[in-house]
Formats: sequence, C-alpha cells, structure tokens
Amino acid sequence: MSVVKVQSVSKWFPRRDGESLHVLQNIDLDVPEKAIVAIVGASGCGKSTLLNIIAGLVKPDRGCVFLNGVKASDFEDWRSLTYMFQEDRLLPWRTAAQNVAFGLEAAGVARPERRERVAETLALVGLSGFADAYPHELSGGMRSRVALARSLVTRPSILLMDEPFSKLDPSIRTQMHDEVLRIKELMGMTIVFVTHDVEEAVVLADKVVVLNPRPGRVRETQEIRLPYPRDPLSPDVAEQARLLRRSL
Amino acid sequence: MSAVPSSPAAPVDDGRPKPVPGAARDRRLKLAALRLALLVALLAIWQVASLGAPPFVLPSPMRVWEAWTALVASPTFWKDLGVTFERIVTGFALAAVFGVAIGLILGASKTLGEFFEPVLTLITTVSSAIWAIFALIWFGLSNWTTIFVVFMTAMPLILTTVWQGTRTVNADFVELARTFRMSQAQVLAKIYLPTILPLFFSSARLAFGFGARVSLVAETLGASSGVGVRLKQAADLLQTDQVFAWTLTLVALMLALEALVLKPLEARLFRWKKQAEAS
Ligand SMILES: Nc1ncnc2c1ncn2[C@@H]1O[C@H](COP(=O)(O)OP(=O)(O)OP(=O)(O)O)[C@@H](O)[C@H]1O
Ligand SMILES: [Mg+2]
Repeated sequence: MSVVKVQSVSKWFPRRDGESLHVLQNIDLDVPEKAIVAIVGASGCGKSTLLNIIAGLVKPDRGCVFLNGVKASDFEDWRSLTYMFQEDRLLPWRTAAQNVAFGLEAAGVARPERRERVAETLALVGLSGFADAYPHELSGGMRSRVALARSLVTRPSILLMDEPFSKLDPSIRTQMHDEVLRIKELMGMTIVFVTHDVEEAVVLADKVVVLNPRPGRVRETQEIRLPYPRDPLSPDVAEQARLLRRSL
Repeated sequence: MSAVPSSPAAPVDDGRPKPVPGAARDRRLKLAALRLALLVALLAIWQVASLGAPPFVLPSPMRVWEAWTALVASPTFWKDLGVTFERIVTGFALAAVFGVAIGLILGASKTLGEFFEPVLTLITTVSSAIWAIFALIWFGLSNWTTIFVVFMTAMPLILTTVWQGTRTVNADFVELARTFRMSQAQVLAKIYLPTILPLFFSSARLAFGFGARVSLVAETLGASSGVGVRLKQAADLLQTDQVFAWTLTLVALMLALEALVLKPLEARLFRWKKQAEAS
C-alpha cells in the first residue's frame, strides 16, 4: 500500500493582476512504504507547493491526497508526519536542544521523557556536544542537523524534506546524505525528498519523479535500482543522472 | 635560502586560548571616572547657585542632605514610599497583563484589530491628568485612583508595542508550529510571545517610568498618603529641601531598579541574541 498517494492534484495561485497562476497540473504520485521518493524539477515548478499540499498546509484545487490510505481530510494522525523545510526555521531564542524539543512539546510529551528523547536524537545526528548552543552559534551544517533532529524526534513514519541541504557545501551535503540513509535504515520511515539536484536524487532515492514547469506536471518517473550506499562519483550514478537530466 | 623570516614580536597562534584583553575593563574604569566627574561638577554648580538664592527657592546640597537624613529617620518615610511603590507596581502589573493579552489577541485577529483600533487611539490621546480627575470621581481618595492612572498611562503603551510586535512574527515559524499541529494557544505562547519579548521589554521599561511619574500627580489629587501627598505638603509649606530630598530618593530608586533588576533581567532573557562585535 502506498503511504502517500497524490491523485490528479491541480493547484492555481491567485495573482495580483487578477489572473491565476497554474502551479500544478494533474499530479499523480505514489510513495510506497519505507521508500525514498525524490521529486526533482527546476526552480519555481511547484515542488514546495506539492510538499505543502501533502503536508496539509495548502489545499489542492482539484484532486486529493491519501495518507496511509486515508483521505487527507479524514486523516487524523498528522503528528506521524514531519516536514523539514527549505530553510532550517530554527527558533533563534531556543538552544539546539530546545529547538529539537519543539515538536515534542506540541505532542504533550512530559518533560523527563522529552529530555531523554532530545538527547537521544541529538546523538543520532552527531550533535551531542552542542545541545546548549544557540542557532547563531552553529555552522550551516550543524543547523541542518538540528532541523533534521527536530523532524526526527517525534519518530515520524512520513518525513517530507524540501531541499534541506541545498545551501550546504558539497562535502557536507554528502555527509548529510549518508546520515539520512543511515537514520532511515534505523527508523524505517518513508521519505519524500524534494531537490533540484539530479545527482542528489539519484544517490538517495528508490524512485525519482521529474517535474516540468509552468504548469508543474510529471514528466517522467524513474526507478533507481542501484545498491546503497551509492557513490556520487560512480559511473552508474552519473549515467542515471544523465538520463534524468534529459527530461528536465 | 628562502625561509620566511619571522619577527620575534609577531604573535604565533599556538592553539592556546587567546587571553582576554584588558580593554573592556579600562573602558569601564574610564566611564566610572567620567560619571564621578559629572556628579562633582553638578554638586559644585548647585552649591554655587544656592549661595545666591534663599533656601526656599534653592536649598544648598548640605541642607538637602540634612533634610534627607531626617526624612529617612522619620516614622512615615518607609510607609509612604511603600504605599506609592505598591500602587505603581499594581498599576503597572495590571497594565502589563492586559496590555500583552489584548495586544496578542488583537494582533492574532485582523478583524478584532481593525475594530478596536480607534478605541486605542482614543485612550492614548486622553492625558494622564484627565484620567486622574476621572479616577478621583470614580474611586475617590483610595489606592485605586493612583493605580487606575498608572494603568491607563502604561497599558496603551504596552498594548501598542505588543500589537505592532505581532506583525513582526515570522510566518515561517507559525507554519512550522502548524506542521506540528500546535494549538492556537501554543502558537501564541511559543512563537508570538518570544518574538515580541524584546519589544515588550523596552516598552515596559518606558511604561513603568511614565507610570511612576504620573503616580505622583495622581497622589497629590486623590490620595491621603504616599510620596505625592508628602511632596504636596512640603510644597505648600515651602519646605523646598524636603521636596529635593524626596526627588533624590525617587531618582536613586529608579537608578537602582535599572541597575539591579532590569539590566540583569535583560541580559538573562536575551542571551540568545547575537552580539554585534564591539569595534
Ligand atoms: N502562496 C503563494 N501565493 C502565490 N503564488 C505562490 C505561492 N507559493 C508559491 N507560489 C508560486 O508558485 C510557483 C511555484 O512555487 P514553489 O515554491 O512551489 O516552487 P519550487 O519548485 O519549490 O521552487 P524552488 O526550487 O525555487 O524552491 C512559483 O511561481 C511561486 O511564485
Ligand atoms: Mg521550493
């Protein structure tokens, strides 16, 4: 059964001149359980909008979304889904540990358990020594790790990631890919990963969906059957990326 | 030979922590010296000026000092001070609670905000003296007259700042809270409140100062005890040295409050802020 199913979703945004902007057209998407599905596409083709629709932050104008087979409007277990945004969105007045605890506070987890799980999750992303640092005291890579920890601490079964590493330099980005794959293996969640970087998609995903812009629609869906871990510099990855790039 | 000559004076980074330079301490000492010089100069001018004026116009520093020591020793001094302080703090605390709560609510709901905006303008344009007169009519000679005036002076200031502060709340953070399915109350407490806290703090400081000043006026009109009443009595009897003594007491108290409560509290609350590198 697919964990996330997007069924012929279309979306228009109103424009200031009274016209409307057609952002998504008849999008179909199937994300099987424990899969990593990457969505690639040029800037502005509606990738973030699609994730927002899956997360229930934006309502589609046509079509619908099913989560664990339940229609989004009837879905109740929203806390089993977390969203890592394009910006890290760390609250500047909270330390790393307090930022990670944010999601648990919403779920009403008691303080002692909260502390334990925050420490556990910070260790998981390799940030144990920085629990008390404020965001402005952390490097870009560390901030990404905190944001990742915040999305993981509630032990979600669905993780939506919107170009979470696009601002990091390549070597740190590769590190983060390894982390994501390792943690996914450990926690066994389903991931929808948005990126404009084809190599990143090929390294991470079981399935890559290519969107074309204006209006955003699915151009191609490609299964990636290479064994993990995938070396971003290997010829296999390069070949897959080349094939995908043709339809971008 | 192409060895780079290293001058013996050049500092080498040996990986050890850099010693903290003494510049900060020097600057503080210099500032303290400047403050002291200013104090001495003011006292000297005061002394010279008082030589050419009768004591009921301008008493000498010495005379004021004597009046002050006598005042502190008098049985009602602490009671008057306590009563006034209590009224200011009560009025201010009520203003803070209502100002923050109403400001948050008006900020979170656009319709309510637009509906109530004229009321706020109305309240801010009415002068504190008029509130004092209304208070006298409504509450008579009681604590509530002063409390009400402090409240009506401080509350609109705090409310306006909090309300405007809600517009600076980062919509991305609110969206983040929504993905965690936080309740509206949680969003207010965990996103809105921390965002407006720095603004609230500076407006509260201003509001407390205004409240403290108008409280004296209110007391001269509508109270039978408190610093304002004593000031008026002293003025009626032309005891100018008493007026000076009370004034100095109040100034000293405000300075102490700033240095012992507000500054440390501010430093603690806003530890998370990035410090601009001092140049
Ligand atoms: N709330 C909104 N109101 C109006 N237009 C919007 C809104 N959100 C997005 N858009 C428009 O929809 C289009 C798609 O935006 P979206 O953010 O989904 O693109 P994206 O693929 O994520 O781009 P990027 O790779 O740059 O992040 C853009 O043209 C954008 O201007
Ligand atoms: Mg985007």
